[in-house]
Amino acid sequence: MDNREILVDIKNLRTFFYTEDGVVPAVDGIDLTIHRGEVVGLVGESGCGKSVTALSIMRLIANPPGKIVGGEIFFHGEDLLKKSDDQMRLIRGDKISMIFQEPMTSLNPVYTIGDQISEAITLHQKIDSAEAKKRTIDMLHLVGIPEPERRFSQYPHEMSGGMRQRVMIAMALSCNPELLISDEATTALDVTIQAQILDLMRGLQKKLGMAVLIITHNLAVVAEMAETINIAYAGKIVESATAKEIFKSPRHDQRAIASHRGHGPVPLSHAQRLPF
Amino acid sequence: MRNFLVRRLLLIVPMIVAISLIIFILLTLQGDPFHQLLMNPHVRPEDVQILMHNWNWDKPLPIRYFNWLKEFVVSTFAPRAGNGWGFSLLAPGTNARALILQKLPLTLALSGGSILLSIIIAVPIGIFSALHQYGFGDNVGTFFAFFGMSMPSFWFGIMLIIIFGLKLHWFPISGMHSDMLPAGGQLVDFYAAPWLARLVNRAWYMALPVSVLSLLGVGGWMRYTRSSMLEVVRQDYVRTARAKGAPESVVIRKHALRNALIPIITLVGLTLPGIVGGAMITEQVFALDGMGRLTLQAVLGNDMFVAMAILMIDSLLVLFGSLLADILYAVADPRVRYS
Amino acid sequence: MKEYTANEELKLREAPTETYVSNILRRLRRNRMGMLGLAMVFVVLVAVIFAGPLSFGKSPYAMLSPADLKPGQTTPEFMTPNRDHILGTDELGRDAWSRLLYGGRVSLLIGVVASLTSIFLGTFVGLVSGFYGGWFDNLIMRFTDTMMSIPTLPLMVVLAAVLKGGVLNLILILVVFGWMGDARLVRGVTLSLREQEYIEAARAVGASPWRIMFRHLLPNTAAPIIVSFSMSISSLIIYEASLSYLGLGIPQPTPSWGNMLYNAQNYIFSAPQLVWFPGLAIFFTSLGFNFFGDGLRDALDPKLKL
Repeated sequence: MDNREILVDIKNLRTFFYTEDGVVPAVDGIDLTIHRGEVVGLVGESGCGKSVTALSIMRLIANPPGKIVGGEIFFHGEDLLKKSDDQMRLIRGDKISMIFQEPMTSLNPVYTIGDQISEAITLHQKIDSAEAKKRTIDMLHLVGIPEPERRFSQYPHEMSGGMRQRVMIAMALSCNPELLISDEATTALDVTIQAQILDLMRGLQKKLGMAVLIITHNLAVVAEMAETINIAYAGKIVESATAKEIFKSPRHDQRAIASHRGHGPVPLSHAQRLPF
Repeated sequence: MRNFLVRRLLLIVPMIVAISLIIFILLTLQGDPFHQLLMNPHVRPEDVQILMHNWNWDKPLPIRYFNWLKEFVVSTFAPRAGNGWGFSLLAPGTNARALILQKLPLTLALSGGSILLSIIIAVPIGIFSALHQYGFGDNVGTFFAFFGMSMPSFWFGIMLIIIFGLKLHWFPISGMHSDMLPAGGQLVDFYAAPWLARLVNRAWYMALPVSVLSLLGVGGWMRYTRSSMLEVVRQDYVRTARAKGAPESVVIRKHALRNALIPIITLVGLTLPGIVGGAMITEQVFALDGMGRLTLQAVLGNDMFVAMAILMIDSLLVLFGSLLADILYAVADPRVRYS
Repeated sequence: MKEYTANEELKLREAPTETYVSNILRRLRRNRMGMLGLAMVFVVLVAVIFAGPLSFGKSPYAMLSPADLKPGQTTPEFMTPNRDHILGTDELGRDAWSRLLYGGRVSLLIGVVASLTSIFLGTFVGLVSGFYGGWFDNLIMRFTDTMMSIPTLPLMVVLAAVLKGGVLNLILILVVFGWMGDARLVRGVTLSLREQEYIEAARAVGASPWRIMFRHLLPNTAAPIIVSFSMSISSLIIYEASLSYLGLGIPQPTPSWGNMLYNAQNYIFSAPQLVWFPGLAIFFTSLGFNFFGDGLRDALDPKLKL
């Protein structure tokens, strides 16, 4: 199959949430493999555990109420779940980084965007602030933000949603990560901006060659970009195949899921119209 | 920002007028100081007549009101030209302004000290509480916050007097300082003592009243800090900071705390008005001669001009307190600063 | 796939239909501090409702005469707690326990009625102001701000001095300075809901403004209002006591916790027990309402739980 080196290997991951109303098995035995430089899609309806999978890789599950109760997440052959908080911290933002769904609220309102990107750099690299500033401006330039020198000292509220998401991407890529996790990064944006950001991410992936895990509920988003697509349902991967295979013969599309629930099959004419 | 300030200042003017009207009406209902003066056998009726004429008190109510408001504004902005916010019935020979200026420092020291003390105590506890939500420490903190909020201040004051004053004799139970202080091996008059001894002595006298006022504040500040911090630690940007690989201490101190403190800083401005109201009870309990007691004496003793002046000053404190809150907010929050 | 029997099927369908209210009640039951508060409030309510039987037939007004003294007792006044008078007697020889119970009735009545009235007034003002918006809202809110800018306690003192005590007057004073917070709260909620689709829909089908306000907007303000109710009872009881302490509360001989303290403060040297109990009663009651209100807030706002 794929002869590239395996970068991330998730085995039987289980992340549960302990709420007042009982235990929610958000992720209940997910297996997922990401090769070096590969673009992997993780698709599913909301609540199927895809974001929780991402946060589990980052070890950012809020505890309480969440807890990773089982499984392994191998990164370069080492189990991330066995690492200490400090070791994990050094990996986050450096080797693995993540961009989130809400560009409007994901940036700290009281610091300039320059501050926030430089922080990501200086946390992981021993460079002085002038050097960090230079690198930040380069990154802003890289993600297509015009006038990066001026933008450096602007606050998040002075920017549009699309611009803020570009800032988030710049921040995530600032330390040249080996894996970038994009959790619904374009969902909150307008359709045209969405296309621009996707374009940018595609371009950057080609240029920098990092592996990307794209999490979305929208098959169309991953259709063009991902090599492998995993479809999650109710905390499990129900189908994993190359993009081509999925669109040719969907086994676990909405029809499969619907029958899984005990209702009759829902007629569908084309996979791309899946209303996930 | 400047536009905003100008707009706020302009809004304050009609509010002051409205407040002054409410105050005037209420105190007119309460009683007529001139009437009381006329009953005083030591005051000649002719003098009262002249005074009444000067204050337009022989004219209808609206004219009296505008005359008083005019005098108030003049005395406020041009003290030399004014009549010092009116005469005092209870302290003949002085005017409201002199009385208030004489009593204000004590109240400011008392309230300022306790606001500072309660913030210093409450904010760290509130932060701790939020970071360990529903933990043991949080429950203890919450319990004591409500403890303070549920305590009637005067009763707490009386209990402190009984326990620490009457039973244990650790603290004086009333007054502002000793008459005599030991200095150089002998007792000297308080005002002749070195400044450090005077300061220590005053602090000793203020210990119980400040404790009472602080306890009241601590609960509120703590709960407020806690909920503000809880709100912030759930924000997406805190998650972003963690995703960057920032150590937990940086996440909390740099990213969360800075945001959580914004509403707290703002609240400082909004506490200013509580100064006189809060001090009223405490000063009464500990027999301290400050603004609070003056307010009570003036209101109950029909000392109309003094009472009106105090209430006006109080209301101005509220209005400028909220203006200060807005300014502090703008300083602390770039989103406001630039819009 | 597993086959379900008809009964199991039914159970499965019923499971998620837990109502909003029972959901809240269940969360409240789990909140230890909230339940402690509820228990405390319950104790106080029982004590003041059954003040008659609980005071062992002793009137809060009857002064003990020297003829009733038992051997070994010197005066009918300032008795320390004993078998006949479990909290002793006050400066006029009245039974302190009986006065505490009946005083609680007055204090609690004032707290509850004033709080309810303020909330009705505040909710109405906030609802109308938020719903109509525009210059009307502006005017109302400026007025609210003005009222809030007047220092409460000093003005209450003025009003109390003008109105001269009495339960009804005291309630009136507390309401006059108590409605603004609720008005602001309700207006805020109303403003945020006014533009929602379901309000639009109600308007589109021709619902009258009053119907929209009271049927569609009001229920959404219920949660914060209920919390505010519980918490404000606590602060109003303290306000009543503070005014009474300043000598402006309920006039004698009617007992209230505030005026009992006012009288007792003159005897802190000779009879400190007279200060202890009314203060403890105020503290206990207001702590109970605060705990309960806080538990209620946690139960109503599950967001804060996670």
